[in-house]
Amino acid sequence: MKSKQYSIKVFETTIEDELQFIDFFDNNYMLFKDHLIVIEGDFPDRIREYLEKKNLKYLHNVILPKGRTRKALEVELKAQNADAEISAQIVQQELHKLENQLQNNLTVLDEMIRSGRELNIKGDLLLLNRVNSGATIKTSGNLIITKVVEGAIRCKGNFMMLTASPKANIVFHDVEVDNSLLEDRLNRVELKNNEIIITPVLKKEINWAL
Amino acid sequence: MGIVIAVISGKGGVGKTTATANLGLGIAMNNKKCVVVDFDIGQRNLDMILGLENRVVYDMVQVMDGEANLKQALIKSKANENLHFLAASQTKDKSVLESQKVEKLVAELKENFDFVILDAPAGIESGYEHTIEFADAAIVIVNPEVSSIRDADRAIGILDSKSAKVKAGDDVAKYLIINRIVADMVESGEMLKSDDILEILNIKLLGKVPEDKGVIDASNQGKPVVLDKKSIAGQAYSRISDRLCGQKVDMKDIEVSDSGLFKRITGIFK
Repeated sequence: MKSKQYSIKVFETTIEDELQFIDFFDNNYMLFKDHLIVIEGDFPDRIREYLEKKNLKYLHNVILPKGRTRKALEVELKAQNADAEISAQIVQQELHKLENQLQNNLTVLDEMIRSGRELNIKGDLLLLNRVNSGATIKTSGNLIITKVVEGAIRCKGNFMMLTASPKANIVFHDVEVDNSLLEDRLNRVELKNNEIIITPVLKKEINWAL
Repeated sequence: MGIVIAVISGKGGVGKTTATANLGLGIAMNNKKCVVVDFDIGQRNLDMILGLENRVVYDMVQVMDGEANLKQALIKSKANENLHFLAASQTKDKSVLESQKVEKLVAELKENFDFVILDAPAGIESGYEHTIEFADAAIVIVNPEVSSIRDADRAIGILDSKSAKVKAGDDVAKYLIINRIVADMVESGEMLKSDDILEILNIKLLGKVPEDKGVIDASNQGKPVVLDKKSIAGQAYSRISDRLCGQKVDMKDIEVSDSGLFKRITGIFK
C-alpha cells in the first residue's frame, strides 16, 4: 500500500443564492483556489459547472474529521480522568457504608482485663471475661461483655450488652449510664432519640460463659 | 537447677517480706536448699525479719557489680542451715538495677539452690519490674481488702507483660496467698471472701493465712512465725511451704471462726 498524508484547507459553506456565491468566489478566487470546497445542503448544477470551470476541488455533503490542538486534547483528557476519579470515590464511599452495616470489625476476646489496662477497640468488641477495677475499655462500635465490669467503659456504638455491674463507670456516647438500672442478667443499652434505654434481655437462670 | 519465685503484692504493707521469710524458712525445713533475696533496694527489711541484720557484710548490688562474690555475700540462717539470705543494698536506690546484671545473679542463684525466692519491693516501678523479669513463678500476696486487690491485679498485669518468660511465649505461674484473714469479719461480711478475691484475680490459690498478733512479735525478734508451732499464722505458712515442696496438704478453712457453735455452747455454762 502506497499512501501519503496531506494537511489541506477546507472552505465549508451552504448555497443560498447562486449568483451571490459565484460573485463571492470571483472576488476571492485567489484566497480559495487551493482550498477544498465543501458544499452543504443543496448543490445546483450551475455551481458544479462553475467550480469545475474554475478548476476548484469540491465535495458535497461530507462530514470532515475536525483536528484539535494538543492543549485542547490534554484538557479533555484531564476532565475525563477527574470524572473517573470522582466516580471511583463515590463507589468507595458506598462500599464503605455497606461495610459498616455488614460488619464492624468484630474483636472477640476471652481474657481478664486487669487493672491499669486500657483497650482501644475500633469496631465491635465481644468480651467473654471480667473487666477489673482500674481498667478501661473504649470502643467505637458495639460492645458486649458477658461478665461483671468493675472498670470504666466508653462506648460509641449503636448498643451495649452488659450484666449488672454496680462498681463500673459506664459512659455511652458521652452520657454516664446509671448502672443501678442494670439488672442481674444481660442488659441491652441503646440510644433512641437522645435517650438511653436499658432493656434486660435474658432470664436470670442462664449461666454465661463459664 | 532450682525454681525462681518472686513474691509480689503491688500494695505495700500486706506482708510480702513476712511471707518471704516464712516461706523461705518453711521450705528449708522441708530439707530443700533455699535462698531468699531482698530486692527492695534502699528499704530493706528482710534481714531484720530473719534476725540477720548484724550479719550483713556484702549486699546483692555489690555482688552484681563484682565487688564481692556470691559466696561472700550469702548469709546462712541461724534457724535452719538450708536457708540462705542475700541482702539488699540500703544505701543505693532502685536505679542501680540493670536487667543483664539481675539475669546473671538470678541464673547463678538458680544453679546453687532448689528455691530462689525474690522479695519484690512494693509498687510497680523499675525495682518491681526487675524482680519479676527473670522469675519462673510469682506468689501474689493480698489482704482481703479492695485496695490491696486492685494493686495486686495491676501487678499481675505487669507481670504478664514484662516477664522474660512471657516475652519468650511462655506462661508465668501465679499463685495467691491471702494474708491477714479475720474469720469473724469474713463471716459478718466486713471482709472480702476468698471466693470473691479469686474471682477477681483469677489465679490459683496457694493458701490462706489468718491474722495473728504473734507475727509482729516474731518479726521484731527476728524469728519468723513459722518456727512457732502453736501460732495459727505459722501453721498456715508451714502448710503453704509444704505445698510448695510438692506435698499434698488439704486447704484448711480458716474463714470459719472457732468462736462458732462450740464456744457459744460453752458460753452458756459460764
